[in-house]
Amino acid sequence: MAYEEPITDYDHIVENCTCAFCGSNCDDLDFLVKGNHVVGVRHACRLGASKIMEDEDQRLKVPMMRDENGELQEVDWDTALDAAAELIANSVRPLFYGWSETSIECMKKGLKLTEYVGAVIDNQATICHGPTVQAVQNVGYPLMTLGEVKNRADMVVYTGSNPMNAHPRHLARYSVFPRGWFRQRGRFDRTLVTWDPKFSDTAKMSDIWVPFEENGDYGFCNAIRAVLKGKELKEDVISGIPKQDIIDLTESMKNVEFGALFFGLGLTHTLSKQRNIDIAIQLVQDLNAYTKWVLLPMRGHFNVNGFNIYMAYEMGFPYGVDFCRGYPRYMIGETTTVDLLNRKEPDVFLVIAADPGAHFPGGANMHLANIPVIQIDIHWGPSTELADIVLPGTFIGVETAGTSYRMDSVPIHMKSAIDPPETCREDEWIVNELYERVKKIKEEAK
Amino acid sequence: MKTITLTLKKFSSIALEFEELIPDTVYNWSKEDFENYQVPIGNTRFPLTNYFDIEVEGDAEGPEDVKMILDGDMSRVKYIGYRMTAGEIIVNGDADLQAGAEMIGGSLKINGNAESYVGREMRGGSIEVMGNVREYCGTSYIGEWRGMSGGVIKVHGNAGKQLADCMSGGEIYIGGSCDILAGIHMTKGYIEIGGDVTRWPGGQMKNGTIVIKGKLSSLLEGFENEGIFVDPDIEGKQLTGKYIKYKGDIGVNGKGSLWLNAEKNRNLL
Amino acid sequence: MEYILKNGIVYDPTHNVTGDRKDVMIKDGKIVDNVSSDAKVLDVTDKLVMAAGVDVHAHIAGPKLCVGRLYRPEDSRAGVVPKTDITRAETGFSIPSCSATGYRYSRMGYGTVTEAAVPPLEAKHTHEEIMAIPNIDVSPLALFGNNWFVLQFVKKNDLEGLAAFVSAWLKLSKCYGMKVVNPCGSEAWGWGMNVHGIDDPAPHWDVTGGEVVRALTQVNEMLGLPHSMHVHPNDLGHPGNYPTTIGTLDAVKDVKKNPNVIRDQTIHCTHLQFHCYGGTSWRDAKSGAAPVADYINKNKHVTCDVGQVTFDETTTMTADAPMEYDLYKLSGLKWANKDIELETASGLIPIIYSPKAPVNALQWAIGLELFLLINDPWQVVLTTDSPNAGPFIRYPRIMSWLMSSDRRTEMLENEVHKWATKRTDLASLDRVYDWSDIATVTRSAPAKILGLEQRGHLGVGANADVAVYDIEPENFDATKASNASVIEDVMGRAAYTIKDGEIVVKDGKIVKVVPSRHMWTNVTGFEEQEKKVLEDIMPMFNRYYTVKFENYKVFDHYIDPAIEFKIDAGK
Repeated sequence: MAYEEPITDYDHIVENCTCAFCGSNCDDLDFLVKGNHVVGVRHACRLGASKIMEDEDQRLKVPMMRDENGELQEVDWDTALDAAAELIANSVRPLFYGWSETSIECMKKGLKLTEYVGAVIDNQATICHGPTVQAVQNVGYPLMTLGEVKNRADMVVYTGSNPMNAHPRHLARYSVFPRGWFRQRGRFDRTLVTWDPKFSDTAKMSDIWVPFEENGDYGFCNAIRAVLKGKELKEDVISGIPKQDIIDLTESMKNVEFGALFFGLGLTHTLSKQRNIDIAIQLVQDLNAYTKWVLLPMRGHFNVNGFNIYMAYEMGFPYGVDFCRGYPRYMIGETTTVDLLNRKEPDVFLVIAADPGAHFPGGANMHLANIPVIQIDIHWGPSTELADIVLPGTFIGVETAGTSYRMDSVPIHMKSAIDPPETCREDEWIVNELYERVKKIKEEAK
Repeated sequence: MKTITLTLKKFSSIALEFEELIPDTVYNWSKEDFENYQVPIGNTRFPLTNYFDIEVEGDAEGPEDVKMILDGDMSRVKYIGYRMTAGEIIVNGDADLQAGAEMIGGSLKINGNAESYVGREMRGGSIEVMGNVREYCGTSYIGEWRGMSGGVIKVHGNAGKQLADCMSGGEIYIGGSCDILAGIHMTKGYIEIGGDVTRWPGGQMKNGTIVIKGKLSSLLEGFENEGIFVDPDIEGKQLTGKYIKYKGDIGVNGKGSLWLNAEKNRNLL
Repeated sequence: MEYILKNGIVYDPTHNVTGDRKDVMIKDGKIVDNVSSDAKVLDVTDKLVMAAGVDVHAHIAGPKLCVGRLYRPEDSRAGVVPKTDITRAETGFSIPSCSATGYRYSRMGYGTVTEAAVPPLEAKHTHEEIMAIPNIDVSPLALFGNNWFVLQFVKKNDLEGLAAFVSAWLKLSKCYGMKVVNPCGSEAWGWGMNVHGIDDPAPHWDVTGGEVVRALTQVNEMLGLPHSMHVHPNDLGHPGNYPTTIGTLDAVKDVKKNPNVIRDQTIHCTHLQFHCYGGTSWRDAKSGAAPVADYINKNKHVTCDVGQVTFDETTTMTADAPMEYDLYKLSGLKWANKDIELETASGLIPIIYSPKAPVNALQWAIGLELFLLINDPWQVVLTTDSPNAGPFIRYPRIMSWLMSSDRRTEMLENEVHKWATKRTDLASLDRVYDWSDIATVTRSAPAKILGLEQRGHLGVGANADVAVYDIEPENFDATKASNASVIEDVMGRAAYTIKDGEIVVKDGKIVKVVPSRHMWTNVTGFEEQEKKVLEDIMPMFNRYYTVKFENYKVFDHYIDPAIEFKIDAGK
């Protein structure tokens, strides 16, 4: 990495801003502002800093609609909002997807619209940590805030996740490197373990790397649990790991003072999906009979957990909630986005602060190509190519303040540091505007 | 006896929800009642006649006198037979999600394939599927640790993943093969699989019985061999041939039994 | 808007009104003694009229509730009600969704509810949920009993510093009062351990639960907070725990009450039922209600709420996290845990209280013993520690048990396990509550205990929070066993619930939805000390929390609308 000169050309600093990138929600960022633009970011990782500083890159700045040739053309806000409201008001199976990169305040308006029209509302959990939520629902959820790990943990395990690349400050700010109350020597007081088929950047810096084979997660955890119960292992090698290594690992996990297990999509998206998490949770529960263990999913988007929390307290279900019958229903595979799209059910799709064009399986995107898609976002992306109406929002945590929930469910008020582009509107305003206009159409039709 | 025949004339890609059309509610409906009925589709209701030709013959004193025949592709008709307590439903075609979910009594026969959640949380009655079923057949509701508690599900084809999650009673027979984690978290009941099984049947099972007549590809460490039995009698069901018996899942101090056909699984002998 | 509730049978224990036929007059959200001729007349002839209910202890909003809702979709499903033109869809049985929580309290005629456990780090979450709950004002209590700063102040015996810390932290978390849960035990849970009794120090801290309770009680009186120390003692749910309970209460006996408060007590012991067990293990467990009730009868510095078991499948949730793991080891049901850095722990697990289960029958009987053995109803409040011993929607059922010893006998003889008879004195207690007692334990006493001058009664100047029930106390024999179901039905769906002078429930149905207010205490007169304490603790805060101090506090927009209780600590 080349040396970069420190940034000195700025007007003022806004301190303690919160990063709107990953689920770590680092809230110690200093924004260097010059002429209503963030020209430098202190303390953030490169992922966070570049997202905040490159906010003008491919920025959606004006409302757009497709013309008769299928090209997106600029229109005024009224035209775009009315057209979007018309589509929603007349739909039979509307689906409102995304929400993980916007504020709780915006979600409130979104749920109001969802309840009013009888739509399905869902977020990115449906394609990322949904299996985690299902497993939690099956067997429990022994978690903690990240400071517990910082202050107490003497063993930290990452599995199916590579925070050095995906959550770059996770080890530095929360789990491994910082000095904690009971861990005054920081990194030297902790054992770092990675269970992962890949020799990831996190594995490279770990004290112990356990490379179980792909799809071997469930069998591996099952074997540790059996060892904990005093059973002698039959096979010499289980899920690619020699028997003795499993026994030794189990013994060291029993003998720490405080252990923390962090897991990512490597666990949620291999063969046995939520059952990998299911058994990992049970393993942590078992370990608590010997010493203290906790676990936490490595959530991706900065407010993906926030949506699940918000929906849980408002409606009792965390994601994939279907209001088409006037009451909420939650049924994995039936009320979840990708399943609905694969079945070709939705007739209008609203996407906000998400990029299904980039992340959904082909079959789901094929259906999106065939139905009206309304996009609310700040950047041009693959989903814009699928969109029929584009409504440019604002950047939460930079241009607009709002509430988010960190991966460990700590609520954070993300302040704003600069003004949004004049032609854009806040997400919350846009969604509320859609609600008001849909309501007007529906009431006139009565 | 009352015979109600609904013949599909228009396919809706948005699923119809059929939980109101079970023998318990329609036994005293006339043809006109059906013609006036609006079926839930998405956030709206539409006339049933948009989608079905309707025939009603005979009379019924109660749901037990009703035979409902659904002719055509029902792969977008959800909740067929949901919570029914009596009577008979026959689907001449594929069935969509939740067929026979929370069923209490009566019988449901699907002469085709069925989607996921067949017989979810079933309490009684019988379901027969001539084709395949997808995931979560005979399962519990997500988060609920008390799953299917009674009744019989018979599938002539194959079953998908996570058959009978948290099963706590009843019987399931799969004629064909079965994907991963059959009987996960089960506490009671009987599962018999005629064909091969990929991996890990009985994961985290506490009790109950799983019989596999075909080949198992991968057994969990949480199961302990209890010996070989010839022509075992398992819960009153007489099996023929040699079976290896396992107890598990140790991880949860489970006392479940897993029986594997010894001939097909010689590698485990 | 003016109203006159005409011809009702009024119970207002605060003013010694016991079943008098009286009109209740309302103007501009307050109870008044005169209204104009424009007042709308509500004919409530012969019907039961009381102030709206006040709940002194429930878990209704915040992070652990949300974990419950998130991980128990099967419970959410159990309470689904479709939306109406006025109400949103409801979900949940033991852990209802936020709007359902408001509607259900409102339908029972309640107007004020205390959220009993707020971890300050996640207080924003609690307030977000309060914003989503309609129709009840909420008084949240912040957790202090395992806070590292508190442990340090107690260890140094620096009460002045501790008072300033508490004062500052109530402002930061926008809470109404203080709560202590298993002091030092939840900190021990940070290492998977617990403490036993009030003299067992937290590992590494050299401070005991008894010391923490005493110091915080002293500080509470020093500041003159409207509510007293609100304590969930050590050893919850353990056979043989009642001496710990008495020890906790006795540890603060000599603490002098602040002269400016309206309450009589200096310590409120919550869900006392869980803390009144005799014996040494679940094998020989028996009731310890009698000695505890006896202590309370002799000591006016104590009040309590019961935490009555209702025989439901519910969800336990408490900051007493080690106890939740104990329950997990017993039942094996899905266990959740949530530890909060520097502040507290918490845990959750579903539980099925069955009348046929010996332990559950014993718990049920102990709860009722407490109601019947504590002589002064002003010292005892009806709660279920919702949802821990049962969901709050069961309050009317508990009323029916209190009002009829015949009904209790019927249950003892036919419905509940014999431990209830053999290991408690319940069968010998034939005391019954009358409507005045019911009004006391559900309205007047909790309001006074919380220090809420304008609630829990119908005197002039009180908030116009009123409940009318469709029952004629003069023509109804509540002692008859067969009338128990009538009481439960009628008290569960108010004929009218009036909140701040507006009709929000009519004939058991929500007719209006109003935002709940966030009640919080603003201590003044301690500014200098607060400033110094914040300076002193800031290095530790910055190093060991994972959020910046600037982002820690609850901003004003999370408490809209609010009721600020300004306390002058200098007085």
